[in-house]
Amino acid sequence: MAEKFPQPVVDQIYTLNLGPQHPSTHGVLRVLLDLDGEIIIKADPVIGYGHRGHEKMGENRLYKQFMPNTSRMDYLSGLLFNHGYCLAVEKLAKIEVPERAQYIRVICSELNRISSHLLWFGTYVMDLGGFTPFLYAFDDREQILDILDRVTGSRLTYSYCRFGGVVADIDNEFVDTTRAFIKRLRSRWPDYHNLVTKNVIFIHRTRDVGVITPELAQEFGVTGPLLRAAGIPFDMRKIEPYEVYDRFDFEIPVGIKGDALDRYNVRMEEMEQSCRIIEQALDGLPKGDFINDSVPTRLKPPKGEVYFAFESARGQTGYYLVSDGTIYPYRCHIRVPSFSNLNVVTDVFRGTLVADAISILGSIDVVIPEIDR
Amino acid sequence: MGYFKEILEGGWSLVEGMKVTLRRLYRPVVTLQYPRQRVAMSPAYRGHTELIIFPDTGTHKCIACGQCERMCPSNVIKVQGTKLQAKGPKVGTHYVIDFTRCSLCGLCVEVCPTKALKYSKEYELVGTSRWDGVIDLMARLEAQKKQA
Amino acid sequence: MGNEVGSDWVRLIVGLLIVIGFSQINALFLVWLERKVAGHIQLRPGPKEVGPFGLLQTIIDGIKLIGKELITPRAADRKLFVLAPVLIFMPVLVSFLVLPFGPNLILRDMNVGVLLIFAFSTFSVLAILAGGWAANNKYALLGAVRSVAQNVAYEIPLLLTVVTVVLMTNSLRFAEIVAAQSKVWFVFFQPVACVLYLICATAETNRAPFDIPEAESELIAGFHTEYSGMRFGLFFLAEYTNMFIVCAVATSLFFGGWHGLFGFDLGIPGVVWFLLKTYFLLFVIMWVRWTFPRVRFDQLMNFSWKVMIPLSLVNLIITAAVLKFI
Repeated sequence: MAEKFPQPVVDQIYTLNLGPQHPSTHGVLRVLLDLDGEIIIKADPVIGYGHRGHEKMGENRLYKQFMPNTSRMDYLSGLLFNHGYCLAVEKLAKIEVPERAQYIRVICSELNRISSHLLWFGTYVMDLGGFTPFLYAFDDREQILDILDRVTGSRLTYSYCRFGGVVADIDNEFVDTTRAFIKRLRSRWPDYHNLVTKNVIFIHRTRDVGVITPELAQEFGVTGPLLRAAGIPFDMRKIEPYEVYDRFDFEIPVGIKGDALDRYNVRMEEMEQSCRIIEQALDGLPKGDFINDSVPTRLKPPKGEVYFAFESARGQTGYYLVSDGTIYPYRCHIRVPSFSNLNVVTDVFRGTLVADAISILGSIDVVIPEIDR
Repeated sequence: MGYFKEILEGGWSLVEGMKVTLRRLYRPVVTLQYPRQRVAMSPAYRGHTELIIFPDTGTHKCIACGQCERMCPSNVIKVQGTKLQAKGPKVGTHYVIDFTRCSLCGLCVEVCPTKALKYSKEYELVGTSRWDGVIDLMARLEAQKKQA
Repeated sequence: MGNEVGSDWVRLIVGLLIVIGFSQINALFLVWLERKVAGHIQLRPGPKEVGPFGLLQTIIDGIKLIGKELITPRAADRKLFVLAPVLIFMPVLVSFLVLPFGPNLILRDMNVGVLLIFAFSTFSVLAILAGGWAANNKYALLGAVRSVAQNVAYEIPLLLTVVTVVLMTNSLRFAEIVAAQSKVWFVFFQPVACVLYLICATAETNRAPFDIPEAESELIAGFHTEYSGMRFGLFFLAEYTNMFIVCAVATSLFFGGWHGLFGFDLGIPGVVWFLLKTYFLLFVIMWVRWTFPRVRFDQLMNFSWKVMIPLSLVNLIITAAVLKFI
């Protein structure tokens, strides 16, 4: 990308610090930009401002006590991270999960995915300058938070999943409200499409901006909607289905060019597909237990290691647990998608304007606390 | 020709967007005017923990076993108890949580052998010093008993 | 002779006082209106606690701004830094002198009224550049530089659309232009020019979707990043007063000034017609701000040079041709 531009005179390059305190870097991210006028020559992201030591905490807590930590890493997909952690430990310790619990976990995970994408939608358009879709997206997101509040007790950092199932069962009220919510969300799509997707200003801001080719994506290890927008249909729910995902009929939206507009379209379509999954799950909800009671509190999985990868809202997330037979894990490492996704920035920012840089950063959808853990 | 078509289509998309916001302009607001209108907390809402008053004894059933204290990932709970007789059960006398560090995971509620804890619905906690975040559950229990 | 001159002076001073008072109250009212419109579009009520319907909110905010510390960065250019807010507010006050509020309510009916307003509105470019440069901040400088380019680029189609109206009435005096619209407003003769004028006006006053100079999500606050307290307040008030001036000019040029629709006055005085139309245009500008995202800087310049200027030139040529052969 940099070969196309004439070499700038060295005196004219100045450094701008898209500092840790900025309205558009989502979290505490610092990007050192070398600018020639308004064109970026070099971009250097600096992370680590939000390190809290989650992995170290994981080594000193029981497997069950690590549950609140999982929610707080990527706070926008708290339930998805909970779910993935439970699946990883269940794989390690070979715990059975009743079918009803699996359905409940899938429904709640997909609701969480929709809420994360809605928030991304609001903040992305706000970064571009349109302030109102943010409020509309939050209006819909409140409905999801209320639904999950009624069953789990929290709005953002749920510790809802346990090894072998979930904490509390769902009742008919949950089923009815979720169906009503999905109907209401589907009636909102025309509003969003008229206000944002078809808007000529928005299209010009996002078309051909930040193109991530499939080769670049594979080089950096990019996953999630970025990879799917580049044209590669890679989704953990289809490649290695876990829980009951193989029973549902849903598609994976794939983009063509890999620019910001494709990423936007992929995420909007993903929300619709999540609605389809939730509907099918609610229709086929079996009766039964919601938790496997025989799991001991001080769980001692057999010696060994497990890497379990699942699809969170931002891409492929993985839990790597090493057990040495005691009640504490030996190593608890989390592979987060935002770390690899963010590093694409060093290549994609070159040759763009500062305004485009904000657009690209927003469309990549990074959540810095999950990078820093 | 494509030049004019682009301008007209672009302009029409802008007008469509303005129609959407105009429709929202005259609809009622969706926000809640706190503090004049309050939020109804859901029944499962997790406020800080409190001791349940059991109807048969009229008081709590905490036996000060210390399981919640050991289970808490953030070391938030401090429990103490006494034995009323030499060979009898223990009874909890002091129960203090440091709510500034509580992560509301709910492990203490789950692990209690007598199921003595439940979540309260408190969400309007405010204080002037950090020590206001330390909640004495026994004092809260006494206040609730007096109210009932 | 002496009597006339004396009453002329009295008229001038009273008029000036009324105009200054009106501009301040207008700015306060516009801030309140913007917040209310923004609130209701965003499904929330906006200010409603302070005063009935939140009307006193702006005054309280102004008092708060006055009470804040005026911070000057150590490496800033002191004289320019202090001068910039003053420089941006004075020209808009001058522009109030020639606006036709009503049949006999023009303070100074100059032969070159239209020209005066546009000459003074160019001052704001100077003030923005001074403010951005003097702050010694890279973000402010970027904002100021963008603003200068944007203002210069959009002045050309603005003036071209105004020239079409001037061609139709052969005069630069506001009173004559408004009088020529007593039967039919010019917007029915020149719809394209009206739309182009409103777009350019939005760009001239740095309002969204053209608010790149103060792009909140990219440049913190653009050229007024380093200003605090009442200096920032002056920038803020100048923006709203500038908006009012631009909408008042649109009303006079295209929407008939103080005349009613198709000559029907309905008994309402001319001042009320004028203010109603101006505030309606202001509402449209605010509505547009809260709906659309921001245009990127190079796309903005492309839009001006490749779309606005050709269209306004073609409009001007067609108008001239039609006027020649009627």
